[in-house]
Amino acid sequence: MKHNLQKLSLLVGMFCMVAMAWAQEYTTLPQQAQRLRNLANSSNMASLKSLTKTLGGKDIWMLTLGKGDAESKPAIAVVGGVEGSHLLSVEMALRFAEGIISDHSDVLDNTTFYVFPNMSPDAYEQYFAALKWERSGNARPTDDDRDGRLNEDPFDDLDGNGMITWMRVEDPTGDWITHPADSRIMIKADRSKGEKGMYKVFTEGRDNDLDGTFNEDGEGGIHFRKNLTYEYPYFVAGSGEHSVSELENRALLDMLYTKWNLYGVFTFGPGNNLSSPWRYNRAGASKRVVTSILNDDAGLNKYLSDIYNETVSLKNAPDSGEQGGDFLQWAYFHFGRLSVGTPGWWVPTVKDEEGQAANKDKNREVNFLRWAEQEGLTNYWVDWKEVNHPDFPNQKVEVGGIAPFVMNNPPLAKIGDAARNHTDFIVKMAKMQANVQLVNLKTEAVGKGMTRITVDVYNGGTLPTHTEMGTRSRWLQPVKVELSLGNGQELISGRKIQTLRSLDGDASVQFTWLVKGSGTVKIQAGASHAGVDSQTVNLK
Amino acid sequence: MKRYISKIFAGLVLVGLALPGISFGQNADEVFRAAGSPHNPKVNIAFNRYYTAEGLAELSKKIADAHPDLVKRISIGKSYEGRDIWMLQVTNFKKGNPERKPAFYVDGNIHSNEIQGAEICIYTAWYLTENFGDVDYITEVLDDRIFYIVPTINPDARNNYMKEANTGSSPRSGMMPFDDDRDGLVDEDGLDDLDGDGSVTSMRRKSDYGDFIIDPLDPRKMIQIGPDDVTTAQRYELLGSEGIDNDGDGRVNEDRPGYYDPNRDWAWKWQPDYIQGGALKYPFSVPANRAVADFVLAHPNIAGAQSFHNSGGMILRGPGAEEDLATYNRADLRIYDAIGEKGEKMLPGYRYLTVYKDLYSVFGGELDWFYGSRGIYTFTNEIFSSFAYYKNERPDRNQSYDFDRELLANDAFTPWAPYNHPTYGEIEIGGFKKNFGRATPGFMLEEELHRNMAFALYHAHHMPKLSIDKVMEKDLGGGLREITAIIKNERLMPTHASQDLKYKIERPDYISIDGVSVQAGMIVEDLDLGITTEQKVNPAKLEVANIPGNGTVIVRWIVSGRGTPKITVDSAKGGLITR
Repeated sequence: MKHNLQKLSLLVGMFCMVAMAWAQEYTTLPQQAQRLRNLANSSNMASLKSLTKTLGGKDIWMLTLGKGDAESKPAIAVVGGVEGSHLLSVEMALRFAEGIISDHSDVLDNTTFYVFPNMSPDAYEQYFAALKWERSGNARPTDDDRDGRLNEDPFDDLDGNGMITWMRVEDPTGDWITHPADSRIMIKADRSKGEKGMYKVFTEGRDNDLDGTFNEDGEGGIHFRKNLTYEYPYFVAGSGEHSVSELENRALLDMLYTKWNLYGVFTFGPGNNLSSPWRYNRAGASKRVVTSILNDDAGLNKYLSDIYNETVSLKNAPDSGEQGGDFLQWAYFHFGRLSVGTPGWWVPTVKDEEGQAANKDKNREVNFLRWAEQEGLTNYWVDWKEVNHPDFPNQKVEVGGIAPFVMNNPPLAKIGDAARNHTDFIVKMAKMQANVQLVNLKTEAVGKGMTRITVDVYNGGTLPTHTEMGTRSRWLQPVKVELSLGNGQELISGRKIQTLRSLDGDASVQFTWLVKGSGTVKIQAGASHAGVDSQTVNLK
Repeated sequence: MKRYISKIFAGLVLVGLALPGISFGQNADEVFRAAGSPHNPKVNIAFNRYYTAEGLAELSKKIADAHPDLVKRISIGKSYEGRDIWMLQVTNFKKGNPERKPAFYVDGNIHSNEIQGAEICIYTAWYLTENFGDVDYITEVLDDRIFYIVPTINPDARNNYMKEANTGSSPRSGMMPFDDDRDGLVDEDGLDDLDGDGSVTSMRRKSDYGDFIIDPLDPRKMIQIGPDDVTTAQRYELLGSEGIDNDGDGRVNEDRPGYYDPNRDWAWKWQPDYIQGGALKYPFSVPANRAVADFVLAHPNIAGAQSFHNSGGMILRGPGAEEDLATYNRADLRIYDAIGEKGEKMLPGYRYLTVYKDLYSVFGGELDWFYGSRGIYTFTNEIFSSFAYYKNERPDRNQSYDFDRELLANDAFTPWAPYNHPTYGEIEIGGFKKNFGRATPGFMLEEELHRNMAFALYHAHHMPKLSIDKVMEKDLGGGLREITAIIKNERLMPTHASQDLKYKIERPDYISIDGVSVQAGMIVEDLDLGITTEQKVNPAKLEVANIPGNGTVIVRWIVSGRGTPKITVDSAKGGLITR
């Protein structure tokens, strides 16, 4: 009976999951929490905990996917919501977790996943607010323009449509013109081609504090991906007073730094080193403060990128949106882990139709409008409409433009197989992980009561045990090779404990010891992020 | 008998500590003032010895209890092991708003074995409070300024240094445990005080192949044998610091408490461990550092800061890292140089130096965070140098041995003595004790504390001191008046360091007028030529980016109405004044 009940609840849970997985709307924070709880309740392979609450009072969730002694298996962290306005990245992380439990639970035999689906919950909520604008900052009150006044110049919904879009002001001193293929889209005039600007373009709002700048100090806050230590931007709006100042940043890092079994970090967000890999730059890699991926790691990144492009089949990715203080780069440059990231989806490139002006410069906004039209999207565009603007009493001011959020967060029905393909890719990455084994064990009798032991420490995985960067970090353990002696045994030659900085995929190193005595000794080799193997050896 | 006496003595000490410090320490008839020092203080403190974390906490409490109108003692946070990080806030609390006075921050002992800073801090609080009311300059200083004094920001490891097996250079770290040798075990092979003298000294062993002999004229000293030397004396080999291979991994003393460097933990241009050895997870991973940073962020009135280390006799300014050279700009360096060069005069044997080029190039230091991130002029002093032994710029290389014998009655050296070592067999252990070499010897300590305090007070003296020096009125007719005010800063530091102005770290200064109806407001660029810049929005509250050091800002309003104008200057680092 009890068994049946469990089964039933499992079924109900599965049903909820399926229902949720097919949800066509971005989920609210309470819905996300419910989805995570459902997953944790329905499966003994998933457990949920809240790392902290943000200043806005929102939970930062951590979902562990694993079997048995999950903490002792090599692990990948999967992180979403690093950019608060990218709701899709949260959805992708959630679908990944759900997909592992429903379709790929076998991968948990050897790999553990720590899923942090939403690192920017304070900002995320703005999507559901009465006034929609693309928010990246958390709930901390910040003086973004550092003038001593707090939030004194926010956006203003001049056209009253509940969204913040753009303003264009007809002005011969402006730098902007309309795009030749679609006059709705504003682009910068190219003076080298003799183009003359006809508009000024601002975000929608008034210069509330009359300081000559529009909307430069509104509500919120500090951006999760501007507050980490790698190339931290000082004194920039959204970066905070110092790196890792925010509760959510600190909570995540504090957790990651306890996970010695982590070898990889996968980030859903604007940064993309999977569509095209990071490039090695000798000068940047050889400075004291390293600013380039290291050479071996560039090769590794290229290899993973090729597999990604085969698996995910999304073309023409937008330029990677890395920035100082972000998470994707931090996980590699300062945490030493294999770090890969992608937005997970972007607007497909639409072919110019007959009768349409060609989108010669492949303008992404023009392309977006054409795609949205083709797909029958609604509410993605606000027609330019003239408003009376008190800051421009004698000029023509229009409000309009692409609606907030829509370019990076399409209706979920439009993302096709993107979520499943990304789950497949992460599973492939897991199956390539380093796997330290003891092979070719040999014992020989030497002289009177002495045994020579020889063994190869072999990495049976495809990935190296350490990124080249990881070999430099004190936060990754080296591969440790240890011989444990029993009573009455003596080590004549060789060391009890030895370490290897790294072991490439399919590579091995031979170790040998000379032991005097009888009985058994134990050899153990590995690192918690690269697998550990041990063997008991009978002395001759 | 002897034990009995020592018990009485301990009892007296306890009573002494428990006495409320309100009464004077000595009958006034019994003492005669030495110039510059409190002659009959309410709190008697011996400044020829060092204090543990608990000793410092008790002294700070006594000072606070004895001077309730001058001292507030608060805990700004807890150390890793849960000790309070005590801060003494010293000012005349009866006069002005303490939160709005220009503030000077001082701490010591971030490196746990670099102990003098804590005693400098205690001495400073003691000196200021005991001289208040007696010495006009000190009274004025406490009327105008506030001092935030944190004797130790590493109390856990301070105690470890004093009570456990250490050299003069260990532990330096704090006490958070880490796996230094990355073998999966934490702090499993630290130093060992094998001979029980309270210090980790050196190990030597007789060896036919050794490179050292004992100095025939001084058995404490080892002499290295040169390639052409011929000796018939017993040869020795040196086996490093006192210790054993506790974990049996074939290495000695390789995983000690810590190890990290609390002075690589600060957020300005912070870099991780593989770039900057000693760094932790991210800035302010050390709880005590975070407590200081949070306090400083919440106290924009801090205009100057000082941290105390040892040793080498240095007055250090940033940048810590060569890569950060551009942060320290010319305008601010003029101020650093003026104070630092004065320090060289006040502290004989000390040199004014720049960390990255004269010491080492490092990221994540405290002084760089104070300046780079907060625009606070900050020095680090490396207390004590070998100059002090014989006041000699060119010290004899044997002078430590001479000094120990001639002035310290051989108290600083543990004579070599045999020891049976589990790995090395019959060896000898001996050497200078941990309280010699970096820590100032007792009889010189008060002078060291005083001179360093005087340097900090000089630095604090030059924090901005603002006044509304002149207010001029002119009738413009038609019911309009022109009111011109000259705001003066009579000290070296501006209200905003040049680094601060560059990044708008602190808000502008506000100069506002009340009691009249303001029609227009402007900054006067040139009084004689009448060149002004109008502030169109909210002219009653003029925003001034900076009030320069030893300089003035002139403001003007055109007002109507008959009221008497009241002018207010509101500066985060310069204070709040009205006229």
